[in-house]
Amino acid sequence: MEQSEAMVSTREGQFAGRRRLVGLAAGVGLVLAGCAKNAPQDTFQPAGSNAREIDGLQRELFYVSGIVGLIVFAAILYAIIKFKDRGQDIPEQSHGNPKLEILLTILPAIILAVVAVPSVAAVFKLDKKDNDCVINVTGQQWWWEYDYVQGSTCGGVEITKSIVTSGELVIPAHTDVLLRITSRDVIHSYWIPRLNGKRDAVPGRLHTLRMQADQAGIYTGQCTEFCGLSHARMRQAAVALEAADFQTWVTNQTADYVAPEADTLAATGEATFVAQCSRCHQVNDLLSPDGTPVLAEPDLYVVSGAAPNLSKLMTRTAFAGWTFDLISAECRDKLWNAPPDEFGALYLQGVTPECFDEANLRTWLRNAPAMKPMYADPTKLASTGGKTRGMPNLNLTEDQIDELIAYMLERK
Amino acid sequence: MAIIERPATVPAFVGDASASPPALVTPTAALGAFKRPVSTTGWKSWVFTVDHKKLGLMYGAVSLFFFLVGGLEALLIRLQLAAPDNTVLSADLYNQMFTMHATTMVFLFVMPMAAAFANYFLPLQVGARDVAFPRINALGFWLFLFGGIFLNTSWVLGGAADGGWFMYSPNSSPLFSPSHGIDFWVLGLQITGIASLVGAINLIVTIINMRAPGMSLMRMPVFAWMQLVTQFLLLFAMPVITVALFLLSFQRNFGAAFFDVEKGADPLLWQHLFWIFGHPEVYIIILPSFGIISEVLPTFSRKPLFGYKFVVFSGAAIGTVGWGVWAHHMFASGLGPVSVAVFSAATMLVAIPTGVKICNWTLTLWGGKLWFTTAMNFAIGVIVLFTIGGLSGVTHASAPADTQQTDTYHIVAHFHYVIVGGAVMGLFAGFYYWWPKMFGKLLSERLGKWNFWLMFFGVNLTFAPMHILGMQGQPRRMVVWPKKLTGEGFFNLGFWNQVATVGSFTIALGVLIFVINIFVTAKKVEKAPLDPWDARTLEWMTASPPKEHNFDSIPTVHALDEFFHRKYEEVDTEDGPRLVRVKSAEQILAEEEAAGDAHIHLPSPSYWPIVLAFSLPVIAYGVIFNLMLSVVGAGIMILGLFGWVLEPSVADDSDYDPPAEGSGPSKELASIG
Repeated sequence: MEQSEAMVSTREGQFAGRRRLVGLAAGVGLVLAGCAKNAPQDTFQPAGSNAREIDGLQRELFYVSGIVGLIVFAAILYAIIKFKDRGQDIPEQSHGNPKLEILLTILPAIILAVVAVPSVAAVFKLDKKDNDCVINVTGQQWWWEYDYVQGSTCGGVEITKSIVTSGELVIPAHTDVLLRITSRDVIHSYWIPRLNGKRDAVPGRLHTLRMQADQAGIYTGQCTEFCGLSHARMRQAAVALEAADFQTWVTNQTADYVAPEADTLAATGEATFVAQCSRCHQVNDLLSPDGTPVLAEPDLYVVSGAAPNLSKLMTRTAFAGWTFDLISAECRDKLWNAPPDEFGALYLQGVTPECFDEANLRTWLRNAPAMKPMYADPTKLASTGGKTRGMPNLNLTEDQIDELIAYMLERK
Repeated sequence: MAIIERPATVPAFVGDASASPPALVTPTAALGAFKRPVSTTGWKSWVFTVDHKKLGLMYGAVSLFFFLVGGLEALLIRLQLAAPDNTVLSADLYNQMFTMHATTMVFLFVMPMAAAFANYFLPLQVGARDVAFPRINALGFWLFLFGGIFLNTSWVLGGAADGGWFMYSPNSSPLFSPSHGIDFWVLGLQITGIASLVGAINLIVTIINMRAPGMSLMRMPVFAWMQLVTQFLLLFAMPVITVALFLLSFQRNFGAAFFDVEKGADPLLWQHLFWIFGHPEVYIIILPSFGIISEVLPTFSRKPLFGYKFVVFSGAAIGTVGWGVWAHHMFASGLGPVSVAVFSAATMLVAIPTGVKICNWTLTLWGGKLWFTTAMNFAIGVIVLFTIGGLSGVTHASAPADTQQTDTYHIVAHFHYVIVGGAVMGLFAGFYYWWPKMFGKLLSERLGKWNFWLMFFGVNLTFAPMHILGMQGQPRRMVVWPKKLTGEGFFNLGFWNQVATVGSFTIALGVLIFVINIFVTAKKVEKAPLDPWDARTLEWMTASPPKEHNFDSIPTVHALDEFFHRKYEEVDTEDGPRLVRVKSAEQILAEEEAAGDAHIHLPSPSYWPIVLAFSLPVIAYGVIFNLMLSVVGAGIMILGLFGWVLEPSVADDSDYDPPAEGSGPSKELASIG
C-alpha cells in the first residue's frame, strides 16, 4: 500500500548511516507484508459496480498521495543529509523565494483539481435512485431489519407479499437494488464494504443506498455508527443469489406456516414459543391454541419497538445482530468460500442438522444479556418505563430451551 | 511583584532601606479588608499568582498529568484490541474508555499544553511583561484544572461518559445513556470551555496591544502568529460548542427536547453544531505545534523561516477555510449529493495552505547548517508524520472514498498521524527547545534521543498498520473484533492489531523516558548557557528562567528574528559577504539590564480567580446531584465576583506587613537581577 511505501521513506528520511539500513529493511518488510488475504470486508476487493466506482477513485487518490509523499520525503532526506552541520558557514539569511512559493501553491491546487473533478462526478453517480427493487432497511439496537416492499421487482422476481427478515440481506445478483434506510432509536450506519460505502440510518429520516453484486456470494458488513453498548455486535451481511435461486428464496420466505407434527418436542416448543417469546418475536401465521392469530407487540416491551421476525430463522446463518453463528465454523467457511455457481444451492439449504451449531443458540436462550451486553436489567429500567433494549434473561428451564430449539430448527 | 522600583545604582531590593521582602503576609480581615496574597515564595505564591510564567508552568504540569491519564486509557484500549474477541475491558467500560481517551487528550492535554506554551512564551516573544488580563489568565488555569478534575471524578461517581467524544444525539439522551457520565462530560467541557474562551480573548489582546516597540505584525515570530490564529478560532468555535452543550444539558437534566426525534427534532442538528466547533478544533490543536516547529526549524537550520509571509498567510488561510469544511465529518450522514459535493471540494482546498507549510519547512532546511538536537528531531518528525497524516486526509476529502473510509481504523490512523505525529511531537519539540528558558537547565539530549526515536517508531508502529486495518474493513469503536473477519495469511488483521498494540507501548516507553528526563534534569546542578541554541527571538534576550518582570527594559525591535540580528552582522570578506558574530547573548542581556526601566509595574496576586473558578464545579455537581448545591456554588461565585471587581489591580500599601522597625517604606519590593 502507498501508506507503507510512504513509511519506508519516512524511516529512511530519519536514519543516518548504519541505522538507515535497518530502517530500510523494516520498511521493505512492511511493503512486502501488505495486507491480509481474503479479509471479508476488504474495501480493496469490490464485488459490485458501486464499490468498484469508489475503488477506482480511491486507488487514484492513494497513488497520487503516495507519489507526493515520496517526493516530499525524498526532499527532506536529501536536505538532512546534504545540509547537516559540517562546520560550513552560517547560511545567507534569505527569507524565501516568492516565485518558487507561488509555484508550490499552484502545483498542489492543480493536483487537487485533478482528483476533485472525478470525486464530485462520483458523488452524483452513486446517488441515483431509479430502481425497481426497493428494500426497507431499519436499524435498531442492535440489529437490522429488512422489509422487502410488496410490488417491487427484484431481478425479474416480483415480490407479491412483504417479506420481513433480519441480519442477512438477500438480493438478486447482477441487479441494482435500492435500500431505504432509517432507524427506530439511535443513529446506525449500514455498510457492506465490498458492495458500497456507508449510509447512516437516522431516526426520522430516510436515506437511500444502492447495492449491486457481480456474482452470487456472501458479503459481510458491520454497523459503523457508534450506537451504544453492543455496537460491536451489530453486524450484517448481504447475500447475492442468481435469479432462479432468488426466486426459490422468495417463494420459501412467503410460503405458508407449517406447524410442527403433533406430539413432537417441536410441538411443545410451539406452545413454549407462544408463552415465552411471541410477545416480541413474530412467527407469521402462527395461531394460538384457541385459534386466534398470535401477534407480537414488541412496542410494549422493547425501547425500539421491534424484535426480529423468526418465521424463517433457520434460513439465516447467524442471529442476534448477525453476531453469533447458527452454523458450525466448518460449514461457515465452506459457505463463505463456495464458488459462485455452487453458492446458491448451499445457501438455500439453510441450517441443516449437520451444520447446526446448537451451543450458541442454547447459551443465548439461557441468558442473552450475558452473551451480548444489552440494557436488559429489569432493576435498572426506570428511565425507559420498564422497556428493555435487547432481549432480557427469560430464566428458561433447560427443558424449555430444548423445546424451543426443536421448534426453531423447523423455521426454515 | 507589585511595583518594582529600580534604585539608581545597585540592583538589589527596592526601596530605600531595602529590607528583604516579607516572606508571608497574614490576611487579617474579611472581604475588601483581606490583605493581598503578596508573598513571592511558598505555595501561596503559586496558588494566588497572576504571573503568566507561573501559570504557564502550572498549565504544563497539569496537562502533562492528563497526558499520562489519557495515555493509560489508550493502552487499555490497545490491550483490549490486541487479540480478537478479547475480554480485558467490558463493552461498557470500553465505550467509556474511548470516550474519555479522546476527551482527555483533546481538551485536557493538547489544548491546555498549547495554552501552557502560549502563556509562557507569547508575552516573552512579543516583548511584554505579562498578558493583558493577568487575573483572567489565572481564572483560565483554575477553570481548566477544576473542569478536568470534575470530568474525571465521573469514573468513581457512577461511570464516565460513554457516547464517544462526538456525543451524537440521540444516543446521548438519558434514555440511551442513563448513567451520569454524559452529564459530567457536558458540564466539565463547559467549565474548561470558559477557560479556553477567556484565554483566547486575553491572548488576542496581548498580541494586538502589547507588542514591543518596532514589532509590527509582520515582524512577529511565527509561533505568536499561529497562536493568534488559534485564539481567534477558539474565540469563534467555543461559543458553538457551548450552545450545543447547553442544549444537551437542558435535554438531559431539565426535560428539553432539542434532539428528541419523537417530538420532531432532527438528530443532524447536533452533528452540525458539534462539527462547526469540531473542525476548527482540529486546527486549534495543530496550529500551535506548527508555530513551535516554525521556531525550532529556523533556529537549528541557522536561517530564517523560508517564506515567512506565506507561512503566516497560509496559517490564516487554514483558519479561515477551516470554517467551511465541517460537513466532511458527515459524508455518510445523508446530507444529499449537493452538500456533499460542495464540502468535498472545500475540504480539498484546505490541503493547499497545508501543503504550502510543508514545502516551506522543507525549504527552511534546504541550504541550512543543520544541527540535529532533540528539538530538531521532533520538528523534522512533525514534518514527516504530518505529511503522512495530511496525505491520508486527502484520500478521504473525496466524499465517495470517504464513505468507505469513515468510521474505520483508516480514519483513526489519519487523525493520530495528525494529532500525535503533528501536534504532540510538535509540543515535544517545544519542551526540548524551551526547557532551558523555563528552568535554566538543559533536558538530557541523550535521553532526549531515546525519547524521540521511541516515539517516532512507536507512532509509525501503532498507526501505520491502522491504515491497513481500516481499508480492510475494521471499523472504529468496536470493543471486540471477531476472528472470522480478520482474513487469512500471516499478515492478517489480527497480526496488525498486535503490531499496533506493541507500537502503543513503544510510545508509552518514549513518554516514560521523557518523564525520567524531567526528573534527571531537575536534579542536575549544571546550568544551561544563556543562549544554548543560538536562537533568534526575543524570549532568549532575557535571563533563564526569566525574571518576574521578563525584561529589565522592553527591547525595541528592528527586524524579524531580532535577537539573531543583534548577535550577527554581515561583514564583507574576500570571498564575499559573511555573517560574523558580533555579540554574545550575555553582552546583549547586560546591555538591556544596564538600560533597565526605572519603574516596572506588575499586577498583584489575587485570591479571587481561584475562588471564582472553584464555584463552577460546585454548581455543576449541584446540577447532577442536588440543585441546592448549585445554590451554594452560586453563592461562592457571587462572593468571587464581588471580591474581584472591588479589588484594585495593584496591591495597596496596607496589604503588606508593617515594615521592620525603622526601615523605610512598607511596600513589598521584588528583586531585580
